[in-house]
Amino acid sequence: MSRLIAGELIKVRTTRTALGFAAASLLLVLATVLITILAGHPDTIEDKRSALSFGAAIAIVLLLFGTVGATGEFRHRTLAPAVLIAPDRLRLLLARIAAYVATALAVAATLAVITLVIGIPLLAGEKGPDLATGDYVKVIAGGLLVAGLAVAIGVAFGTLVRNQVFAVIAVLVWVTILEPLVGLIKDRALDYTLGSALTRVAQGGDDRMSLGGAVLVLLAWGVVLLAAAALVDRRRDVD
Amino acid sequence: MSAAAIEAVGLTKRYKSVTAVDDLSFRVREGAVTGFLGPNGAGKTTTLRMVLGLARPSEGTATIQGRRYVELDEPARTVGANLEVAGAHPGRSGRNHLRALAAMAGLPPSRVDEVLRLVELESAADRRAGKYSLGMRQRLGLAATLLGDPRVLVLDEPANGLDPQGIRWLRDFLRAMAAEGRTVLVSSHVLAEVAQTVDDVVVIHRGRLVQQGPVQSLTAAGTGVLVRTPRPDVLRTALDRAGLTAVEAPDGALVVDGGEAAQVGEIAFAAGVPLHELAPRSTSLEEAFLALTTDAPPEVGP
Repeated sequence: MSRLIAGELIKVRTTRTALGFAAASLLLVLATVLITILAGHPDTIEDKRSALSFGAAIAIVLLLFGTVGATGEFRHRTLAPAVLIAPDRLRLLLARIAAYVATALAVAATLAVITLVIGIPLLAGEKGPDLATGDYVKVIAGGLLVAGLAVAIGVAFGTLVRNQVFAVIAVLVWVTILEPLVGLIKDRALDYTLGSALTRVAQGGDDRMSLGGAVLVLLAWGVVLLAAAALVDRRRDVD
Repeated sequence: MSAAAIEAVGLTKRYKSVTAVDDLSFRVREGAVTGFLGPNGAGKTTTLRMVLGLARPSEGTATIQGRRYVELDEPARTVGANLEVAGAHPGRSGRNHLRALAAMAGLPPSRVDEVLRLVELESAADRRAGKYSLGMRQRLGLAATLLGDPRVLVLDEPANGLDPQGIRWLRDFLRAMAAEGRTVLVSSHVLAEVAQTVDDVVVIHRGRLVQQGPVQSLTAAGTGVLVRTPRPDVLRTALDRAGLTAVEAPDGALVVDGGEAAQVGEIAFAAGVPLHELAPRSTSLEEAFLALTTDAPPEVGP
């Protein structure tokens, strides 16, 4: 398994896709931190935690990173050489997920440092109570957790769907349009949607659901999508 | 009979109402170069995909050294397969494509340099695969097949899109592989590309086996005698009585199916028919291949 992960890591590192998504994540985090603090002047604990919530800013980007990476294998027809080396498709899928999770965690850890280096001095000048160590831990842990889970869900979804354009549009429409509509029909259902769970994990939980509960919701999404992807992938002919 | 490096038994692949491969059985001898031939759309790639575990057969089985591909312990060290032109991401360099595959197969990075040297792609190794010419992508694909130093090579249309120099290079490459005692199964829709290199042929058409055996067997069925006479009707009747079939070519010559030139000469002599020409006739490989893989039989010619 470690051989497959090493190979998949080389694949992730050696195209510009990962670099592009990392750059997009950096820009989003910088914009979120700077605009939220300098223009929003947060003065409550919750608002200040939200201002440092780099995970919320990058969750969708990393979801798309996993989706684009997995569908790219089908789009560029690069799957066959890997399957010839590792005919067990489930192991190959798990190795790909592990490689993308490792990459996402590295990106998220870097962004966590950047967020804190910029955010802490800026927040020091704002009114209201200061964040406690536990708040920082929740923001960092939530950011790392959401990065890993978002990219894993993206890879599973991309493997399931295959068509890159359709998959990217589907993710965006699902998270930004369809799920909020669910909230209009039944408010409580919104807690179990992908988008809400991503935001909630990134912020370290909130008064509606704890971090652990939100992580469980994301894990459920991940397990269902992974099981579906594994089942379909196993029966699918490789082009 | 020598051991089969690759064996297909009753392989069938159906896509809804279309049967791409139909009850196909063949054997590839250990240590031989076997041409897997057939026109475009004959089912060659689908068959190779089934042999390599990339496609699930609707019926039948395919084994490599007695085991299904998915059951091989170290597939990359047993079989080298190139089904797609390189199969590399266009944004990734050839070297990095091979590095990733080598890592997956548990091979040292130094092996990447070795195979790049073998296929003469060192100078372009750090360029992105999307910038490669078709010939370079074919070489990259071949480099990937050689990574694990396998004894069995499966190459799907490796000559596709190659210029004459590229085809010559490919022939030399296949000869070198054969000289090392490797088993090579190479598909092509153009017999001339591989005719000088292969020992055996497996010819398929419309997903079914039409010929299997040594490459010479392609022409064996097409031997006969060419004969010219001013009295073709009389000679044909005499040949008929002797159990030989003669067909008249457009230029008036008779082509006798089977039989020896001496036998035909004696029949003509006994019938009192003068002969202007009498020559053994052998079908060229290309004619034989076309005859096997064309729905309407080609015109009989001299």
